[in-house]
Amino acid sequence: MIATLLAQVSSTFEPPTLDFHALAPEITFAACVALLYLVDMIKLEDGRRLMPGLSGLALLAPLIPIMTLALDGADRTLFGGAFVVDNVALLLKAMFFLSGYVVVLLSTNHLAEGDFWESEYYLMLTSSLLGMVVMSSARDLVTIFVALELLSIPAYLMATWEKRSLRSNEAGLKYYLMGVFASALMLYGMSLLFGISGSTLLTDIGARIAEGNSSTPIVSLAIVLVIVGFAFKVSAVPFHSWAPDTYEGAPTPVTAFLAVASKAAGFVALLQLAFVGFAGRTDVVEPLMWVLAAASMTVGNLIALRQTNIVRMLAYSGIAQAGFILAPFAVMSDSATESLTAVVTYLVIYAAMNLGAFVIVIAVARKTQSGEISSFGGLFGYAPGLTVAMTVFLASLAGIPPLGGWFAKFVVFKALATAGTPWGYSLAVVMAVNSVVAFYYYALVLKAMWFDEAPYGDTSPVRVPVSLISATGLTAGATILFGVFPGLLGHFTGSLEGIIAVLPGG
Amino acid sequence: MSDFLRSYLTVGIFLGVAVVLVSALLGLSSLLRPSKPTPQKSIVYESGVDPVGTGWAQSQIRYYIFALLFVVFDVEAVFIFPWATRLEAYGLFGLIEMGIFIFILFLSLVYAWRKGVLRWV
Amino acid sequence: MFIAQTLPTVTSSWYLSLAALLFAIGAVGLLVRRNPLVMFMCVELMLNAVNLTFVAFARSMGDLGGQALVFFVMVVAAAEVVVGLAIMVALLRRRPDATTADDVAALRG
Repeated sequence: MIATLLAQVSSTFEPPTLDFHALAPEITFAACVALLYLVDMIKLEDGRRLMPGLSGLALLAPLIPIMTLALDGADRTLFGGAFVVDNVALLLKAMFFLSGYVVVLLSTNHLAEGDFWESEYYLMLTSSLLGMVVMSSARDLVTIFVALELLSIPAYLMATWEKRSLRSNEAGLKYYLMGVFASALMLYGMSLLFGISGSTLLTDIGARIAEGNSSTPIVSLAIVLVIVGFAFKVSAVPFHSWAPDTYEGAPTPVTAFLAVASKAAGFVALLQLAFVGFAGRTDVVEPLMWVLAAASMTVGNLIALRQTNIVRMLAYSGIAQAGFILAPFAVMSDSATESLTAVVTYLVIYAAMNLGAFVIVIAVARKTQSGEISSFGGLFGYAPGLTVAMTVFLASLAGIPPLGGWFAKFVVFKALATAGTPWGYSLAVVMAVNSVVAFYYYALVLKAMWFDEAPYGDTSPVRVPVSLISATGLTAGATILFGVFPGLLGHFTGSLEGIIAVLPGG
Repeated sequence: MSDFLRSYLTVGIFLGVAVVLVSALLGLSSLLRPSKPTPQKSIVYESGVDPVGTGWAQSQIRYYIFALLFVVFDVEAVFIFPWATRLEAYGLFGLIEMGIFIFILFLSLVYAWRKGVLRWV
Repeated sequence: MFIAQTLPTVTSSWYLSLAALLFAIGAVGLLVRRNPLVMFMCVELMLNAVNLTFVAFARSMGDLGGQALVFFVMVVAAAEVVVGLAIMVALLRRRPDATTADDVAALRG
């Protein structure tokens, strides 16, 4: 059967012309990952000490081609439109590489001191990041699917990394079952989209859907299935139930990775699908996104109020933040440019501030061996540096100026207001109320750190390894920088004509 | 009736004969034989040995590891078949692409070997 | 060939309905059953329904994109199952008695 089908392809096969410059970040990184495998293969257990450094280098090396591409500035389209390298994609790629680098810094000591396999962890981490980087450029169902699985499958294993801990095993199993269910839903939606449009390219699908002569219920079903599939990935309510358990059970560096990089990758995919593929059917996308955004903010915040474990608190706050990131999608037809800018800006700033919060949690837990919020009591007395850094991150998550999180919230509000529709205004009100609620539980942690007594009167200083200090520096620097000079991101998100062009009237 | 359905008629008749024959033989023997059920007779037959434990018995873990490895490498072959049928058309370009693909697969097999997965401990 | 000539009534909508049915069985099974292994099987059923849909559409439109996607789905599904089974094996070594997903409840759900 395959032979007859393939005979349909014209017998003259033209190899595609490859723009190696556009692919350079991926090729560099893939080669580095392959080298990491080789090092692990040759050195076996002796290579454990080399791996963190080498994987750090592997994550920083692709930043060079990203910079040359950014300086060049031209949008590049490869493989007939399946792979697009534009400013947004470059910004997201840089974000993924840098978050990966911070996660490596976070993991080094945690892994070396615990009962973990070390070398394999870095291989999984870098493989997963390769999927995310490809996702930033994917404009085709096949590419999106393969990138999604490449980033998810290693992440399932990473959640289970504490092999002898039942909690970690359970975290992995839950994450896995939810993940595969979500990808099956998404795939079924994709198969319907393919049936409607006869193409796997998002631009073709967008054009065919916008024509409006295909069956409406099927189009709606396909769009809903695909969005729900990714709603699991970004842990939006009501598809969030796996997130708190997985975050609590998984090793904390892995939690940081899942909460930031993996979630961001889900949003990146939603971004391509919504703005390129579904732009013609915003009547289906917008109400769904409105509900997901409002529910995620409200439910996430309300449950976060009652948490006593800081990792679970950050998990629920992450669900609420996902609601903030989803909000601009709900007004994508009325303020396309602003919405897209808002999502990308929020993603980048969220990565910096949330990773930062996890750095401090890991640093403090090295001494207290506890994940309870009460274990932060009196932190200022014996670790003022960590306290100040944590204050920066939590204040940024709460949205206090002049930190990055404030600017991120500001652009989302701006997008909602620019739309000028009742939907936009009502969502802005929900968001404002939720920002106030969120402030309360962030303030509880601040209060514990600054004013409470240390539990058991234990005020011996926290030993913070160099890797965690540099991770704190990187994330805190980014959080403050984006707040003080918001124009930095605008340089990249400013020119979005390439992706907006397909929107009706955009 | 179309040719297609007629060709299935044979299958249908065959099926009917089989059902009738089996039920007749089994029914006849159940009428003739004496019935004396004992607990010894109703236990599961396991090569003459008394069965032990439940159906959820544990197997050796190494079987799983080999099976898992097999599944991954087995399925990758699906990419090679379509390429092989159009080998000439894809020419040198296809050959290099497939070379890279197989090299990466080979690398992972060597990786598994170096990690001691293939050793039957 | 023979079937296509004599039974032209089997259109792609038959395949699509079958696929939708399989997908629904898989989805409901995944949500209802609590044995992780059975849940894996239900996921496989859903993925195969997806494959059937892709092939049916690809055949009716004479487009190869769908067929190519099926290969990717198959390979990725195999990789997924391998990882899932590995997680299961790790879990059952800790808790040999845990045969349902509910038995594994060290974390508040």
